[in-house]
Amino acid sequence: MWTTVAKGPAAVEAAVKQLLPPCQVQCPINEDIQRTNVLISLLPDDPALAKQGIIQIGDYLYEKNPFFAVCGYVCGLCELECNYQSKGGSIKRRLLKRFLADTYIDYLDRKEELDLIKHKENIAVVGGGPSGLMAAWHLSKRGYRVTIFEASDRLGGALWLIPRYRLPEKVLASTCENIVRLAGIDVKYNAEMGNGKLSLEKLQHEGYSAVFMAKGTPQPRALTFMGAEVEGGDLSGIEYGHTFLYEVSHGNISPNYFKGKKVVVIGGGNVAFDAARTAKRLGGDTALVCLECEDKKSKDGIPADHEEIRGAWQEGIRTIYSRGVSKIFGAGNNVSGIECPKCTQVFDDAGFNPKFDVSDTIKLDADLLIVTVGQGADRAALQKDNLLDERGRIAVDPITMQSLNREWVFIGGDLRRIGFMVDAMRDGIEAAESIERYLRGLDVREGRKWTLESQDIPLRRYYLGEPEIEWTPPEKRMHFELFEHGFTLPQAVHEARRCLTCGPCLSCKACVSVGIQNSLSEVEVNADRCSGCGVCTSICYYGAAQSKQVEGKRKSFTDTFKCKSCGMCVVACPSGARELVGDPMHARINEVYANLSGAIGG
Amino acid sequence: MAYDPNVVCFSCKFGWDYVSDNKPETKVPENRVPVVCCGKVESNHILEAFKAGADGILILACQEGDCHYQDGNFQTSKKVYLLQKVLETFGVERERVRIEMGLDPEGARVEQLVKEMKTDLSKLGPVKRF
Repeated sequence: MWTTVAKGPAAVEAAVKQLLPPCQVQCPINEDIQRTNVLISLLPDDPALAKQGIIQIGDYLYEKNPFFAVCGYVCGLCELECNYQSKGGSIKRRLLKRFLADTYIDYLDRKEELDLIKHKENIAVVGGGPSGLMAAWHLSKRGYRVTIFEASDRLGGALWLIPRYRLPEKVLASTCENIVRLAGIDVKYNAEMGNGKLSLEKLQHEGYSAVFMAKGTPQPRALTFMGAEVEGGDLSGIEYGHTFLYEVSHGNISPNYFKGKKVVVIGGGNVAFDAARTAKRLGGDTALVCLECEDKKSKDGIPADHEEIRGAWQEGIRTIYSRGVSKIFGAGNNVSGIECPKCTQVFDDAGFNPKFDVSDTIKLDADLLIVTVGQGADRAALQKDNLLDERGRIAVDPITMQSLNREWVFIGGDLRRIGFMVDAMRDGIEAAESIERYLRGLDVREGRKWTLESQDIPLRRYYLGEPEIEWTPPEKRMHFELFEHGFTLPQAVHEARRCLTCGPCLSCKACVSVGIQNSLSEVEVNADRCSGCGVCTSICYYGAAQSKQVEGKRKSFTDTFKCKSCGMCVVACPSGARELVGDPMHARINEVYANLSGAIGG
Repeated sequence: MAYDPNVVCFSCKFGWDYVSDNKPETKVPENRVPVVCCGKVESNHILEAFKAGADGILILACQEGDCHYQDGNFQTSKKVYLLQKVLETFGVERERVRIEMGLDPEGARVEQLVKEMKTDLSKLGPVKRF
């Protein structure tokens, strides 16, 4: 639809990205949120034309983040820092991305393969999750021949554990398959590391110049109480959340599997809520027990997202806060219930250190326990591969992802540090950069850490409230179809227009890319004319027009990072001291006025 | 020849006619001044237009609360209101400066709005000169 999107003066300059909108600072991969919000806001009403625009915006996002469609369903970290939060609600960026994804995912299967010349070294990526795929994508684009070694029979890793009512199978499968198709990445399935057949040494002998290890954390953490494993843990009817969600996603559990059963999920993270809401959808009478308290703001607050807690509550899942599990009761070989003492403290200054009041306990009946209290890496395999330090932790540089023990090995994703999907994706991007530097003989560490700052909310007369997000009511959503309704085109345009574009123009340039402006103009102040009255500082919505003392006189100046070149200060300045340099408006005005007939003489 | 009033039209590029038809060489219509924000239009620009022979000025602004630069449209409507008062004291009718707030990506309504204004201006006749 638009002539250009990211060429020439319309390209975003990476070097000036110290100041960014708060959403982009919050996003681990600093996605160009503001730019694409503006582009969405400029979509036309005509659906066919809008579709072209959506694909163009999608292509732009896809270059850096081929997972953006998945992000549109499950992420939304950026919304936590949106300046609009305090003035009526964050911009619903996740749903805006989902809006793009709804059109883009169909186009993705037809997208043409990238024209890449793979003239560089062979790289092995161990693990086909978000981190591994992201590294493989960015390395392939740089000309490396990448092979992914995936332990299971499909790509996507832990993303498959996200229930389908939140992330449709088609979106995930299509995203993963197209990354490897478009970038020409080789994938070896059922290729598990450390089971004898495959090892780091073997990869090195086979001619891989560097290895990126991102094989996740497949080992569930066992339930403990006061430092010891909980008594009764060997009874049948105890399952781990990960295993459970994995089986469900593979279609190995039939509908109504839990009908008439009492299911208790243990854990307070998003995965625990995924497990609970899945169990409920399979017919179980479900409750959730967690150590943390209800108040999310407290240091012992529940870590799961507010939306998850609300969704579970609507669906009739009972959440029991501030309780641990001290004992599992059995009837014969089966679980029959648990004993839950009051949890008085989850964290102390040193970290996770739960304290209990055993005089206050309750008993819960349960036919099935789903333990979802975290997961960890396969330490024995890491030890064998010599990737741990003397204290048993993974020896890795957190900025470059380079192993401290073996310089040709890079480690990222959940394996390095458990985090959100986009944290793993960031690790992949960083590892790709490090591998490139390492193989080209450059300094791997130089200039890798940036300090990013954000700006305050721009001032305006009134702010708009957030849109209401529609969910299918709980009585109609006890299945695995999506329950959250996406934006329509008019809704998306409206929401994107609500974005206040708090970031600097240099990191956005959406207007230049669609031809609204030819280049960004700059405000100049003529110090001789400036009287220091301060009118410009009071009109500027961005705090860009400021004044300072120069040789005993008050003079105004412009903070070019904050300035949007809107020209409001130019119009307001009573002494004509401010001017927009490079603004074509005056030339156009002169042209138009010169052609008017019947000018008044004199 | 029938009297054909001159209308100078300032149009906000974030609210009006921004869907490019993929032809960068497309000529901007005569008498149209596209601006990134109508807040950039100074009172002087409007007065100069009258001086140069315009019979009316039409400003196409973003819809209320929708300005890409926060409040440019509000500032302009305020300015238009005050300017109308001043112009009236000089015998220039208030109808000669008009602001239209709206959202029109394809610019479908622009021509009609200019036409309507021309019809109204025809009734007024040329600007009275002193």
